[in-house]
Amino acid sequence: MTILQDPVFLSRLQFAVTAMFHILWPLTTVGLSLILVVFEGLWLKTGDVDHYRHARFWAKLFVLNFSVGVISGLPLEFEFGTNWSRFSMMTGEFFGNILGYEGAMAFMLEAGFLGIMLFGWLRVPPAIHLLATGMVTLGASLSVFWILVANSWMQTPAGIHLENNKVVVDSYFEAIFNKNMPWGVLHTWFACLTTSLFVIGGLSAWYILKNRNTDFFLKSFKLALIGAIFVVPIQIYLGDASGRHVFVNQPAKGAAIEAHWTTNQEGKGAEWNLLMWPNENDQKNDWAITLPNVLSVLATGDLHGQVKGLTLFPQADQPPAIALIFYSFRIMVVIGMAFLGLMLWTLLAWLRGQLTPASIGKHRLLLYAWIASIPLGYLATECGWIVREVGRQPWVIYGLLRTRDAASTLPLSVVATSLVAFVVIYSSLFILFLMFAARIISKGPDLSLAPPSRR
Amino acid sequence: MDNEIHSLLANIWFLIIGLMLFLYVILDGFDLGVGILFLFTKDEKQRAIMMKSLESIWDANETWLVLLGGSLFGAFPLVFAIMLQALYIPVMVMLFALIFRGVAFEFRHYARNKAPWNLAFGCSSLLASLAQGIAFGGLISGLGITESNYQGNVWEWFTPFSALVALGVTTGYTLLGAAYLIIKTEGAIQRKSIVQAYIAAILEIILMIMIVILASRFNPYFAARWADKETGNYLDLFVILAVFAFIMLMWALRRGFELRTFFWSVIIFLASFTAVTIGYYPYMIPVSITLIHAASSSKTLIFMLAGIGLLIPVMLVYSGYQYLVFRGKVHLDEHTN
Repeated sequence: MTILQDPVFLSRLQFAVTAMFHILWPLTTVGLSLILVVFEGLWLKTGDVDHYRHARFWAKLFVLNFSVGVISGLPLEFEFGTNWSRFSMMTGEFFGNILGYEGAMAFMLEAGFLGIMLFGWLRVPPAIHLLATGMVTLGASLSVFWILVANSWMQTPAGIHLENNKVVVDSYFEAIFNKNMPWGVLHTWFACLTTSLFVIGGLSAWYILKNRNTDFFLKSFKLALIGAIFVVPIQIYLGDASGRHVFVNQPAKGAAIEAHWTTNQEGKGAEWNLLMWPNENDQKNDWAITLPNVLSVLATGDLHGQVKGLTLFPQADQPPAIALIFYSFRIMVVIGMAFLGLMLWTLLAWLRGQLTPASIGKHRLLLYAWIASIPLGYLATECGWIVREVGRQPWVIYGLLRTRDAASTLPLSVVATSLVAFVVIYSSLFILFLMFAARIISKGPDLSLAPPSRR
Repeated sequence: MDNEIHSLLANIWFLIIGLMLFLYVILDGFDLGVGILFLFTKDEKQRAIMMKSLESIWDANETWLVLLGGSLFGAFPLVFAIMLQALYIPVMVMLFALIFRGVAFEFRHYARNKAPWNLAFGCSSLLASLAQGIAFGGLISGLGITESNYQGNVWEWFTPFSALVALGVTTGYTLLGAAYLIIKTEGAIQRKSIVQAYIAAILEIILMIMIVILASRFNPYFAARWADKETGNYLDLFVILAVFAFIMLMWALRRGFELRTFFWSVIIFLASFTAVTIGYYPYMIPVSITLIHAASSSKTLIFMLAGIGLLIPVMLVYSGYQYLVFRGKVHLDEHTN
């Protein structure tokens, strides 16, 4: 494999590995912290001690997850310098600035209150504790905001011009509020919420199925359901809107997502590939199952709307790995629909009065479906991230800087060694995490835990 | 006028970056130091106390590094890029070490066999300290960077001088760790920390003298700064301050003063840190990249000042509050988790 002898390719692989590993953890940090705020708030409001015990129980998984998230985030920031030094020299004025903002406004805030949130239950009054949990949540969500500001600017760069091959900012407002930003931020933030809700709901379903503290876990199960009723439809809308936005602002990515090679002629709708296999050499699909006009409708809302095809771009400007982008996108969409179906199914059962301790045990299939949904949010997010990042290639900053021109000059052996080390270490951490998380889950909540005074 | 404002802004950011680095070095320094001292502890209960003294604050301490990285990236992109590329190997080693260290807090808690995690925590703390020290030693030796060639050899940081700096930094972290444990513990573990602080402090002052002598002998720019009348006086002053702090530290240890031990250890760091900064000013990568050369435009520096600089006092307040909440001696029986 000659491609493995290319240090730039290895740097790309390393960034992909480290970013895709890292993204797993904030997904639940962001969503779960918000759920912890809800439980803690409910406890303070209603005095129901179960809510306090929920807050304490889920916090154990939260902190285990958090620690892996923190330490896997650190390498990403440094890799911009170590592996992508030409990118860093060129974009520091904006991109580096935004990472600095993220550190100052998000990570410091999160870290500054995390200790109190986790270990300060008996050391501060409940109101201050709630504030600490709230600040951790705010910090985590702000980190989604700033990192997606930075990433969306790489998708749709704005507010800058180049001077001596360096980014100079003309308008911070335009650069921060670039075209992709609202979609990137919201779609990612809702991905965090969705994933966390199905993790909480799925784990609660497991306890209910095992007949362990059914009353207790019915509370978190219903909370997850209520959350999903709001979050899932919004997330599906955001996904759809982001998709349409891609066809306007990153047409090559849009065409790659749908493996759409030739622009449809005027008056004729673009056909949509349900399944296909691409042939990059011949610039067409080897085979495809298609539906007429559907792509025009999806991308433009018009039966005959024009959708730019990949062949409109020189081959050097086309995203690579069309099949990866195409199928990742489909997996994400299918998971979104599965979440919607599961949410509606459960809602129906609830409306029929079947989500009670006495009757929920009969819905074994429903509970199994929730358990099966635990990993799906993660999978959908990874697929979405592949679509977003591979679809932007060959550019690191869309239309401005090619990935190849952004890399550091490093010896092959050095990058290969660090890449292998990351793969080995992260795989072990992943296995260890699952092992320790399983211990926390199988031990279950401490239902004898006495809460501190609410005042 | 424009140039003067730009120069002022660049210097303000140089100062802020310096402050962040100093805070990181002190805070994660004692954190890593406690980790190094883990290797010299055989008692499981003592290990538990040491771990507990860090559990509520380690993440906050390490986050100064994240803030430092982002701020350097924005304010001095050239330094961020050139330095990290040239320091690829020690930076990766540091990151891997920090990974193991970070997960050890939670993983050790849940592991049935704690021995591997004890070792992982101690060794990774040591490794991270050595990597940071050698990277810093490499940086002040110039990394083989010239004004026309930003690409040094990836092994340029590996010199006897940087190895000595690595030892100095690691010993310094160990001193801070011992001083922190003196504040947070009592009884046998505290007595042991006092002995360790003595040893680390004496080693530290010897290493520092060696580093200063080597730097002034082999680094012409540093030597010239010292020979210069005005800057030379300042350098003398801070070296004297470091020695004075060392004497006060010995006195504090002898008298069993807890907070003062930590305070004078910090002053040793502050004095050496300031001396290095003055000795190489205005270079960020000696002697090829100055802070003005590397700085972002005034517009970016102002925007960053508004969003980061103004927040620093706020960060200091809530970080300080967290320390305040967890003040006092560590007790294992306290029911928090």
